[in-house]
Amino acid sequence: MSEALSTHGWQDQDRPHDMHSELLEINMGPQHPATHGVLRLLIHTDGEIVHKVTPVIGYLHRCAEKIAEGCDYRQWMVYTDRFDYLAPMNMNFGYAVAVENMLGCEVPERAEHIRVICAELQRIISHLIALGTFGLDMGAWTPLLYCFREREEILNIFERLSGGRMLYNYFDIGGLRFDAYDGFAEDVLDIVNIMEQKLGEYNTLLSYNKIFIERTADVGVIDAADCYAYGCTGPVLRGAGVPFDCRKDDPYSIYDRFEFDIPYGEGEKGTIGDCWDRYIVRVREMYESCRIVRQALDAMPDGPIMSEDVKKLVKPPVGSLYTRTESSKGEIGFHIFSDGGSKPFRNKVRSPSFSNLQVLEKVGPGLMISDLVATVGSLDIVLGEIDR
Amino acid sequence: MEATAIHDLLKQRFGDDVLDLVDDHEQGAQVAPARVAEIALALRDGDDLDFDSLMCLTGIDWDGYDETGKGKSVAILGYDESGKPETSDRVGEGDLGVAYALYSHRHGHKFCLFARVPRSAPELPSVSGVWPTAAWHEREAFDLVGMRFTGHPDLRRILLDDEWEGHPLRKDYQMPDVWGEVPMNGQPYADAKWGEDDVVVPPAPAPGGDA
Repeated sequence: MSEALSTHGWQDQDRPHDMHSELLEINMGPQHPATHGVLRLLIHTDGEIVHKVTPVIGYLHRCAEKIAEGCDYRQWMVYTDRFDYLAPMNMNFGYAVAVENMLGCEVPERAEHIRVICAELQRIISHLIALGTFGLDMGAWTPLLYCFREREEILNIFERLSGGRMLYNYFDIGGLRFDAYDGFAEDVLDIVNIMEQKLGEYNTLLSYNKIFIERTADVGVIDAADCYAYGCTGPVLRGAGVPFDCRKDDPYSIYDRFEFDIPYGEGEKGTIGDCWDRYIVRVREMYESCRIVRQALDAMPDGPIMSEDVKKLVKPPVGSLYTRTESSKGEIGFHIFSDGGSKPFRNKVRSPSFSNLQVLEKVGPGLMISDLVATVGSLDIVLGEIDR
Repeated sequence: MEATAIHDLLKQRFGDDVLDLVDDHEQGAQVAPARVAEIALALRDGDDLDFDSLMCLTGIDWDGYDETGKGKSVAILGYDESGKPETSDRVGEGDLGVAYALYSHRHGHKFCLFARVPRSAPELPSVSGVWPTAAWHEREAFDLVGMRFTGHPDLRRILLDDEWEGHPLRKDYQMPDVWGEVPMNGQPYADAKWGEDDVVVPPAPAPGGDA
């Protein structure tokens, strides 16, 4: 038997002699509430203990990269919404920055500020869902309902901005599609005030709840070396104790102007890189997002929202560029190959959840099935961007 | 470290297997496909290099690429006006390629490797032994572009169904009319022609039920 089994105190000699001991192959998903979407995990188990886990993905595949080759740069923005449908603003942001970097165009100040505000509000509500559903996975029903309460307020702001509540298509190459409505700043300030107060309540309700800590601390440990090797980014990497964030370490847009800290896992309740660390990084990031939103609101100028040197039909110069930005799940990158025409020759999407999920093959073996659920929940995957 | 310096370093070590510096929007080097894994290992373990992270691995079909920079590459096939998948007799000729976008957390520098292989023998050594994250990315490149990676631990389709035929991101890919029982010609699944026997009538709710 492997070493991993002995860590759970289960020894071979504990097994009754007449007990069958071959591995059982079971499916978790594709329709399973704990897989956060249409994900299938093929699990080989020995009783409660996982020996091997193979994620099977692709149920939501739409080949958006093929579609990208058939439409021009602007038209494809709507498809980025559909990747991470819990954080479309971050996806829009990533793609807009990628194309703008190739064009080398400037985005007006007002548009940059509204972009940052939207991206950070989006990060907050994406983390709220992560927090709520993770609680749900651990058997806590209540936090989810409170999370949706605050999410609703931010969705109302997005609805007034863009017309959509889920898929916004709000960013455009070179700026934004619509200007902010009158009273936008007040609405955002209100929700930031509410959020900062409610986050304390979440901490009391869930983060420092004894049962929750018991279920998540020391479970599903992913260390920094695994994160680098498997390309894990975002809260998974930061949960492993690495304070790396594209907003700080590979700055884009106007993030270099704001003061904020990068929370990272310190193993407060267990080992560095356990489920609780990944979880608490998200909660603390919400505070930091609130800080960024406040600063962006203070500095938001009046002016145009669309760059004037971007033509209607965008044609980036020949060449390729990989641009990455920090979405709520991690590093969203677009590797765009241009032939000088109005359509990309190849547009590859590097989605954060795709790499984050891959590490499950490494950390899965040796876990109990219920801890596997905790680990998947703490990775906070979205199948829309894994399958693209 | 500057990309030119990294390129010089690679050039010293691997000689003619490292081709010219690529320098358009991003910087990198075109390398001989047979030595990709060796070069990747050198980039990861080199003292001043430390490329500990493979950010992205992209498979590309270079078929029909317009070298003049006017953007007149061959258009991909789509659907015609009646909703049928378009067909063409054109057989793809161009190379296939892979691009590796690398980043070093320690030094904060980036570099991009490019490799091109002929369409008739699209084989590259796998770098999944260097960066384990490449395993899934290579499976994706195999699935969608049809690259083969020698030494890959588990090279099978990842996003598409195991029985799928062809590689959709090839420029000469033609959409099938029908896949299994699912019509692929834009016709909604529910409107597809079914045989009489296939129709399943849901049972009527029981009288007095609470539904």
